[in-house]
Amino acid sequence: MKKKVPRGFGLYAGLAAVLVAGLVGLLVFGPRWLATVPDAAPPISTPAAEARKISARLFYVDEQGTGLQGVEQEVLFGDGTAEQARRIVEAQIAPAPEGRVSAIPTGTKLRTLFFTKAGEIYVDLSADVQTNHPGGTTNETLTVYALVSALTSNLPAVTSVQILVDGKEVDTLAGHLDLRRPIEQDLKWVTN
Amino acid sequence: MRTRRLTHAALSLLLALVFTPSKSGHDAVLAQGGPITVLAREGRRTLPTIELQGRQMVGLDDLAALFQLQVREDAAARAITATYKGQTIVMTPDQSLVSSSGRLVSLPAPLTRRNNRWLVPVEFISRALAPIYDVRLDLRSASRLLVLGDLRVPQVTVQYDDSPSLLRVTLETTPRTTATVTHEQGRLLVHVDADALDAVLASPPPQQLVTGIRVVDPNTIQMDLGPRFSTFRASPPVSSGAAALVTIEILAATAETSSATAPSAPGGATADKPGAPIAPGAPATTGDLPVFGGATRPTIRTIVIDPGHGGDDIGVKGAGGALEKDVALSVARRLKGTIEGRLGMRALLTREDGTRVDADGRAAIANNNKADLFISLHANGSPRPSLRGAAIYTLSLDRVGEDARRQSQADRAVLQVFGGGAREVALVEWELAQAAHLDGSNAFAGIVDQKLRATAGLPSVALQRAPMRNLAGTNMPAVLIEMGYLSNAEEEKLLTSGDFQNRIALALTEAVAAFRDYVEQEAQPPAAP
Repeated sequence: MKKKVPRGFGLYAGLAAVLVAGLVGLLVFGPRWLATVPDAAPPISTPAAEARKISARLFYVDEQGTGLQGVEQEVLFGDGTAEQARRIVEAQIAPAPEGRVSAIPTGTKLRTLFFTKAGEIYVDLSADVQTNHPGGTTNETLTVYALVSALTSNLPAVTSVQILVDGKEVDTLAGHLDLRRPIEQDLKWVTN
Repeated sequence: MRTRRLTHAALSLLLALVFTPSKSGHDAVLAQGGPITVLAREGRRTLPTIELQGRQMVGLDDLAALFQLQVREDAAARAITATYKGQTIVMTPDQSLVSSSGRLVSLPAPLTRRNNRWLVPVEFISRALAPIYDVRLDLRSASRLLVLGDLRVPQVTVQYDDSPSLLRVTLETTPRTTATVTHEQGRLLVHVDADALDAVLASPPPQQLVTGIRVVDPNTIQMDLGPRFSTFRASPPVSSGAAALVTIEILAATAETSSATAPSAPGGATADKPGAPIAPGAPATTGDLPVFGGATRPTIRTIVIDPGHGGDDIGVKGAGGALEKDVALSVARRLKGTIEGRLGMRALLTREDGTRVDADGRAAIANNNKADLFISLHANGSPRPSLRGAAIYTLSLDRVGEDARRQSQADRAVLQVFGGGAREVALVEWELAQAAHLDGSNAFAGIVDQKLRATAGLPSVALQRAPMRNLAGTNMPAVLIEMGYLSNAEEEKLLTSGDFQNRIALALTEAVAAFRDYVEQEAQPPAAP
């Protein structure tokens, strides 16, 4: 027997649809100040996203020790620029593969990451990047440009990278390179 | 209703994820700091500051009153907004990142609530407020001035060169500005053609010729004359890059004084007899100063040597235990000795011992002492222990720096202004002062390269350009020298040996002498009065 549809069901369903659409619109488009909040990488990825990988160019200390060598490596796929940037930074700060030397101090962790519409990425690292840094202009240059090169080489939307430590702006990592403003790509530090 | 609460919860969660909280600093000590003087066409006002954990903070309420900002607090969303003519700055409590009209800006300290007031670091004015404000805001941190609009407020610094019978006072105004010197009872007055002065005036030497110096009204510097004063002569301003130099020579009342005194220039009002009065307001100028040997000719007189790191910042640690901060200080002391002893120049260190000095402090020592050259000494480190060799760094510029460099060149143009007269424009930020000196820095780096190879016998020297923090704020040619790798065992032994350190010091002293010759050769003859 055919079930009878209650009277007015269509009206209620329509109102419910409008309400849901309004709530979604509120979350996405308003209020005004929310539109100024930069894209942030979601903290948790879905299992499906983690299964996918892309090929990205990561940067390690070259044989001479004065520059960086780009190496193709598999990196977890991220949905959107901010999420993909997070995956790339996580891979770049991870221990180097066999036979490579990382320019990132041991123990460095990614706290969070922001991507702005102007193409700047703010990479917020744990204090280990300073406290475990061995010092010296060469070491510091390689640390900074490994991160800058990894992000600008693999993500065309990224024009510059600002490194934060424990959520705060810093002058330098080890007393040499000026980190008060976003750093742009500089290919002279890459030897291949 | 429940949906609404859920929406707010989702928004709060989103913000919590975006803005990860930093340390709250509840144990901060509040202290009153000196106020910032706000200069505008309408007059002067003061903007109170509060020192919080070593940072100068200002109240949002004070900024709102001063700049007509509408400040709102959205407790549910944990956001504070400041709006000016439709453009909004969005802040989040305890966060250093703010959004200024959609552009993310990083501040050196977070938005903080204290005693029912919202406080932001003073850098908020130049980084977050200036981009949305319709009048130019120029924060001069060193002199605690905030300049609104197109007021002419040149930076003024002073340098003294003293001898038993003479004190030479050089006032440098940046951008170039005209000035006149008058003599009134017991004092010299330097009237600068400006709306106000951004002056950092060092005390005169204890010579009883000049007993004090200070700014006495918006555009006048007063020098109090001591009991040994006899007479003075002032040069007209001459150009030195983006700056103008006014040299005032003050002579002591001795027998040598009268024999050394040159006749006054035709039409000048120089006091050429002891005690001779000068009509108030009359410009005191001389056409030239041949007797005292071209004091305003570009040359190298003062060198600031910067031993890298210091205090708890040890720099690189070699495998044998040598510390970069100690190596740098040891070489710096030797270099100071050879520059003073062999070249007769004035050499200063940014630190004399193991104390820590921050990057701005190092640049300030060089800038405030009117150094002509800045040499930062370091020892390097590499993940490859086999790597060795020296490196010389000069500053590389990003887009912002290139803009500053272009501005520093543009300010040499004299612009006609509405209503008559002319005005020179200089908009180089203090923190990018080095942008105007890169040609000199690169020339000096090339000379250092030659001398390190030839005199110190270094086989490998690399010339590099990078965004070096210690060089950015220096207002003179500046280089950073990595003398070798402490991460290399052989170079660690070399760097800690007195013989090698002496060779480095000698090579750099020769480089300074060669650079002085280069500067004097390159210098254009002083402009005709």
